Order: sequence, then structure tokens, then C-alpha cells
Amino acid sequence: MITADIIHKVATGEVSATEVLEQSIARIEATDSEVNAFTGKTYSRARAEAGAIDARRARGEMLPPLAGVPYAVKNLFDIKGVVTVAGSKVSRTDPPAAADAFLVRQMRRAGAVLVGALNMDEYAYGFTTENTHYGACHNPHDLTRIAGGSSGGSGAAVAAAQVPLTLGSDTNGSIRVPSSLCGVWGLKPTFGRLSRRGTYPFVYSIDHLGPFADSVEGLAVAYDAMQGPDALDPGSHALALQPAAGELMRGLAGLRVGVLGGYFHENAGPAAREALALAARTLGAEDEVIWPDAAEGRAAAFIITASEGGNLHLADLRKRADDFEPLSVDRFISGVMQPAAWYLRAQRFRRVYRDRVNALFEHCDVLLAPATPVCAPVIGTEWIDVNGVRHPSRPAMGLLTQPVSFAGCPVVAAPMWPIQGAGLPIGVQLIAAPWREDLALRAAYVLQRAGVACLKPAAALATTADTTE
Amino acid sequence: MTDEEALAYVKATAATLDLPLDELRALRVAANLARTAALARLLDAVPLLAHDELVEIYRPAPFPAAPGSVEAP
Repeated sequence: MITADIIHKVATGEVSATEVLEQSIARIEATDSEVNAFTGKTYSRARAEAGAIDARRARGEMLPPLAGVPYAVKNLFDIKGVVTVAGSKVSRTDPPAAADAFLVRQMRRAGAVLVGALNMDEYAYGFTTENTHYGACHNPHDLTRIAGGSSGGSGAAVAAAQVPLTLGSDTNGSIRVPSSLCGVWGLKPTFGRLSRRGTYPFVYSIDHLGPFADSVEGLAVAYDAMQGPDALDPGSHALALQPAAGELMRGLAGLRVGVLGGYFHENAGPAAREALALAARTLGAEDEVIWPDAAEGRAAAFIITASEGGNLHLADLRKRADDFEPLSVDRFISGVMQPAAWYLRAQRFRRVYRDRVNALFEHCDVLLAPATPVCAPVIGTEWIDVNGVRHPSRPAMGLLTQPVSFAGCPVVAAPMWPIQGAGLPIGVQLIAAPWREDLALRAAYVLQRAGVACLKPAAALATTADTTE
Repeated sequence: MTDEEALAYVKATAATLDLPLDELRALRVAANLARTAALARLLDAVPLLAHDELVEIYRPAPFPAAPGSVEAP
């Protein structure tokens, strides 16, 4: 059952929230030894939450919008009573969270049922979820390949049909990269749209949170449920709710859709270009648009990320660097050593960059670009080739996402299945102007209804009957 | 920045920050820093004016609502 079916069937009593939950738990138990999406399970809490939904229905109460929908969160979200490890060994000895993260509270209020915490790159610094402490997260469509990162468990858990919804974070692409590589829907909202309070930070200046889902409707309903101004998050800028789920049926009416060329074409491999071309044809996009200063935007994002990320962990790097993730610890240390001149120039550039990017949306409503240069590489891959240019594999996964999140624009990642992917998915980014998530979601819904963007059963998981259909 | 310059910078900064580094780690960190230096040069080439300020997050307090205006939630 997809999210919309669960919502409908729980609301009508065709199935109970408890039954939906037990199916989800059975699927997790049957598949997670292969996928390694979960680092913690909250089944007792989930059974209590599902039971409460069933009791409300039995009393004849109106159910909230996500009643009975199982979900899980990247393990940087606070879950009351659970240690927020953020993919690390260092934080394992922290005290358990005293309260749920803001967004977890919003999901609970909306009736969703929390089943656990998900694997990720340590402190969100990575695009592959090859986590040394908790093991690599495996791509459900080919278990030898990465799930992407840093929210790898969030992408894999939806792709493996363990849960229909998950939450993750995206600083430089950490929702869109795993969405792309695992073949699921993902939404990185506008910077400042959803409160980050109660999550372990990575880069204060760029951190976003958002949902992954099995469908555009699921993505939109979860996004709507999580909205809410939060004066206690200094990066929360939204002052009012702007629901989007009710807008999906409006289709492409009045939307001007463009295709990003230049940097985004040069850094896209053949499968990514094929997926983009299909999305563009489906959405009637013909005009090529050049994103201003894309390489410079990525450079500035890289510098700010390294500097803020490294600074955040300086005390632990002094005392116990050997306990950090070997794949990222040297980058953290390098980041903390960057000259202030680099960081300050990057933050000054960001203001100019924002104005140039926002000017694009005077002529377009939605812009299309591939989400990753290639489909999921094999775990342990060090180098990839993109159109004859050799790139270090791990940072290259963010080549096409970093310039966009640095501007703060909302993006839906749509799961596509190009022939040149040979059975592997790759995502297309649907990018809108700040605060216009509704437009990106409308375009995404058109792709879904046309049948060109969708989830597919995880063929690599033969242990139980697949439930994605 | 040459490899030697990057390594010297890393060692000097590590001492300034009281951050212990063994020789192998210092070499790896220096290689990372040298790659970032190339990105910093890319940004250096972008003209910025004196009034191009940092993007904002900090604010000293919420802006006071004017009498009769609706307060943001």
C-alpha cells in the first residue's frame, strides 16, 4: 500500500493502524539484514501510537492527515528517550533526547507512527552512507551499491518498502542524492521552511530538513503536516503555513518549465541526460536555462560546509579524532583550518548569488536538472567517470545538487528509470523559486501521473513479497 | 599553494588550534586543504563590492510589531 491508500484505508476502517504497522515491522525484520537502513527501532512506541489511532477511530473521532502511516527518521532527529547518534561513535555516550524533534512532534500530531531511526553518514558529512561505525547502507535495487547519502537509510527504507515515509536532512544534496540513487521521491524544501530544532546540526547556514516518500501525494501530505513557524530555530524563516497537497491536481496550467544546461549538462552522464530528456518532454520544457555561477556556488557551499562542520566538532577532534569516521575526519580537520578569508568571501558571495538565482524565476516557474551525475556506484568506489572526466566518487555525487541548495530553492527529486541505467534509478530535480514548493510538487505530480517517474519494486530483495505496488 | 606550503600551513594551524596531528594525518589534511584552495581561488575571481555583505542569520531580537499590525505567529 502506498501512503494515500494507507491514509484512506485506516480512515475508513478497512485496515487498522496496528495492522499497517505490523506489516511494516515484518518487512523491516525480513529485509534489513540486507539493506541496513535502520540503526534503531522504536516498535514499542510505534505500537502505542498505532493503538492510539485505532482507539480514536473506534471512538468516532476525525483522524489527522497521516493517521496510521508508519515512518522513520534519519538518526540525527531527536527521538525522546533515544540517543541521537547522528551516525557517529562519538555521540553514542550522549544522554538520550529529552524530547522529540520539532518535526517528529509535527508528524506525531498528524497521526504518523514512528518505527525507528535510520542510517546516515557520520554527522551528515558524505554522500554515500558507507558508515564505518554502523555499516554501509545497501541500495535495495542492487545490494552491492551505495544508497547515497547522507540520508542513505531514509532513501533505502522507502525503496525497500519498509516504510512509505521517512525524514532526512539536506545540506548539499543529502535528500536528493539518496532519492536519486534509491529511486524514491524526495523533497528539499526552501531553506527556512521547516524547523530544524531538535536535530543534530551539520552546517547551520545551509541545513534543511525534508521528507522522502513512495508517491508525490505522500511527499506533499507529509510536507504540509510538518509546516509550522518556529521562533526557536534561528534558521526558520516561514511565518505562515502554505499547504501544497491541495494544489497537486492543478497540473501544468500556467507553469513555465525550463531545462538547466551548461554546468548541469556537462556534469551529467548518459543515464542522467536520458532521464532529464524524458522529464523535459513530459513537462513540455524546451528552453535551455543557464544557472548563474553554478561552479562558484558549489565552491562556496563546499567551503562553508567544511568550515562550519569542522568548527562544530573541534573539541572532539582535539581529543578523539580516531573515533571519527575515517572517510570524513580529514575533511573535518581541513575545514576547521580554513582561513577566515575563504569562509567570509563565500558568505558574501552567497548574497550576490541569491539575487542572480532568484532572477531566473522571473522567466521560469520550474527548472529541471539531473540529481546525480550517474546511477549508484558500487560500495567502495573511489573514482567515477562523467563524460570522460575523472572525479572522486564520493564528493562527485553532490555536483548537481550543491549549487541549488546553496541558493535555498525548494527541490523535488523525481525517481526516473532510464534505459541506460540498466535497472538502476536516477533522479531529476524539479527546482522552484524560494517558497514555491507547490510548483515543484505540481510538476512532480504530472510526471507521476504520466508514469515516467515512480517507485519500482526492489528486485534485489527476494526475502519477502514486495509491497511497493 | 604547493604541497609543502599546504603541509606547513596545516602544521602551524594545528599548533595554533591545539589540535594534535600525526605526520600521516597532517599529509592527508594538507591534501584536502589544497583541493579546497582551488575552490577558494574560483570564488576569489568573482568580483564583490564593498557593500556586498554577508548573508544574514543573526538578528538581535524580533522586529517589534507596530501598533495595530498583526504579529507574525
